[in-house]
Amino acid sequence: MDVVLLLQRIFDALFNSAIYSSLALALVIIFRSTGLLNFAQGEMATFSAYIAFVLLAGAAPGVTGGGLASWIGAPLVTPLAIGGAVVIGIAAGAATERVLIRPLRNAPELALVNVTIGILLALNSLMGQWWGTGPRVFPPFFPSDPGDHFAIAGARLRFSTVGAWLVLFALLTALAMLLRYTRAGLAFRAVSIDPESAALNGIRVGPTLMYGWALAAGLGAIAANMSANSVLLEPTMMVRVLVYAFAAATLGGLDSPKGALVGGVIIGLSQTLIPAYVPFIGFELSVLPALVAMVVVLIVRPAGLFGTQRIERV
Amino acid sequence: MSDDNWPTPLPRPGDDDDPGTEAGVFAVFAPPDDPPAAAPLETDEPSEAAAASATDEPSEAAATSEPDEPSDTGALGAEPSGAGLSVRSGPPAASGVGTALIGDGGADRVVGSRRRIGPLSWIGAVLLGVWLVAMPLTSSVTEMRQNTQIIVMVLAVLGVNIATGYGGMISLGHGVFVAVGAFAAAYAVDDLALPWAISILAGAAFAGVIGALVGLPALRIKGIHLALVTLGLAIVFQPLAKRVPAFSGGVSGRAVGAELVPPSWFGTSRWAEGLYRYLICLAVVALAMWLTHNLINSRPGRAMRAVRDNDTASAVYGVNLVASRVSTFAMSASLAGLAGALGIVLVPFTSQESYPFQESLVLYATAVLGGLGSLWGSVLGVAIREVFSRIGELLGGVSGLGPLGEFLRLLDEEQFVFGVLLVALTFVFPRGLIGLFNRRRDAPAPPSDQNLKRA
Repeated sequence: MDVVLLLQRIFDALFNSAIYSSLALALVIIFRSTGLLNFAQGEMATFSAYIAFVLLAGAAPGVTGGGLASWIGAPLVTPLAIGGAVVIGIAAGAATERVLIRPLRNAPELALVNVTIGILLALNSLMGQWWGTGPRVFPPFFPSDPGDHFAIAGARLRFSTVGAWLVLFALLTALAMLLRYTRAGLAFRAVSIDPESAALNGIRVGPTLMYGWALAAGLGAIAANMSANSVLLEPTMMVRVLVYAFAAATLGGLDSPKGALVGGVIIGLSQTLIPAYVPFIGFELSVLPALVAMVVVLIVRPAGLFGTQRIERV
Repeated sequence: MSDDNWPTPLPRPGDDDDPGTEAGVFAVFAPPDDPPAAAPLETDEPSEAAAASATDEPSEAAATSEPDEPSDTGALGAEPSGAGLSVRSGPPAASGVGTALIGDGGADRVVGSRRRIGPLSWIGAVLLGVWLVAMPLTSSVTEMRQNTQIIVMVLAVLGVNIATGYGGMISLGHGVFVAVGAFAAAYAVDDLALPWAISILAGAAFAGVIGALVGLPALRIKGIHLALVTLGLAIVFQPLAKRVPAFSGGVSGRAVGAELVPPSWFGTSRWAEGLYRYLICLAVVALAMWLTHNLINSRPGRAMRAVRDNDTASAVYGVNLVASRVSTFAMSASLAGLAGALGIVLVPFTSQESYPFQESLVLYATAVLGGLGSLWGSVLGVAIREVFSRIGELLGGVSGLGPLGEFLRLLDEEQFVFGVLLVALTFVFPRGLIGLFNRRRDAPAPPSDQNLKRA
């Protein structure tokens, strides 16, 4: 086995790992506080990347879909556009919670599945209609010229990989500080553990959950904007990524942020390495091992690696 | 949108005509009732009378003396709205997946409570009957084929309904079973040179086997997690199908060489050919619906619903959970597979291209929109889908309106419309549009603790 090639593949995988970890973290934040799997997380993230695209490309003919899409347009520099898109994504996440999720707080699980699936379908179709289903070139988030890499033992560790992990760690640190040292964070933890007791203690459950959705949407938006350059921007860009992220979150334990991180790394590595060494899988089918992993974990150990064991009351 | 929209999960005292909690879990243990009525299925000669009687017969047998006068809230102006039969939505004993959204079609038969066909259901039945007769007489060959495809789609939606509405297992991946049924039938009729009748059954059976395999994890994976797994299945299907070209035709799909031609006395024109296929498909769909109806109201069907409402309790009462879950999923998959197999009778081509994951989600949305836990809900869902697609075509064709035109074009996107409808109906008609046909007079009570807890 070629060691340098293996190392190279691992380095490449680490970029995907960071993306999957971010999105898995977003899923975990929402699942932990509301027990809901947000199937629309990927599409919401993609939508934010398209917003960045519009902010960047402006109303240039042939670039955007025109019509509704074009009136927002005003060309901006990359960081500003992406920053703006993330902020819009966060606001949209908060609005989604307020308008579509909170009224259903007493509704059965099926209702929430329906709403998130509805959002997924509608957003996916909307993006295809406004911006076309074909892939679009998205500017790099990090320096991504051929020369932008560290050479380690003959393999190339790209700046974008290092950058993605730096961003992820910065976000994790900020998140941990937020949860630990702020009132809102304390409220969020209380609501995650027991919404009823939290409400009895004077915590406003609704707005707290809205912060959670905003955080999750922000994480997703950042993940989408970081990866849109390498996977090319298209409406279904995050669909496969969502399966990887769900697999990562499941593997790590759906209510464990640490699990999301570890799961993201494992899924990212396996997603790159398995197709490389198992010819049948190939690139296109690399989502299959993730799905199998998810099913196996759910059957054998539903709590995942770090999740809380659920005890069912009869 | 207030909480008042949610159906009450438990009957309140004095709710006399309510199948209630007992119907939910303990239904299985009621003494076996009369054999279900056999609906005449004279689909070879679809007269208006035959179509109408086929729709009302089963409920006639179920209906007993005391009338439960349904109020006719909200008229559905849709022309081919094809819901004939009012199936009561008894509030199930909510636990598990949160089944309060699911109408409990047929459960009331067990405890012998009442139901009656409302005026709106009569209108629906008559419209459906008229449409079934008038459609082949008035449409071109192409239109007839397209309309037959719509009829066939009822089976796929019914498949989703069986798994999700009756079995309590959320399936977001039923498009996969439709595709598998189509591939298997194409393989049987072409590569194995089997006759059409056997090939179609083989398609359904093979999809059923695959469904059973998918149903196996469903023994442990429940609720929202199963939704996740089935969504993953729908996403992984396309690349997987490309890997087995001998079966699926690979990237380019497979053309079906064999053709289903009518016997010579039937006529040889293209119109006669189309009519023949229409009648065959209609007969198969009606037969499958009738069998499903009977199954739902038999012991396995009651076990199915009991498992949905509370699996632990039903296991305690002696329901075999493994057998019930796996067979439910297999059955729902084989209905979808049957739809796929009939699909290649109508259009002799099939490809993984036609089954992106969005297609599975739209199938799911159709089942939910029509009404889960109701056979006629699936028919209604397909009718609604068709109505919206016509409206969308109409509005999408308008040009030169700037941003408004762009918005109107969105209405021509089935996915968009169904996504929005799925969200909207969760708020407005939590039990699906079939709820319009059998709405209860008393306003639903606010939700109790039973369905407060989710997950």
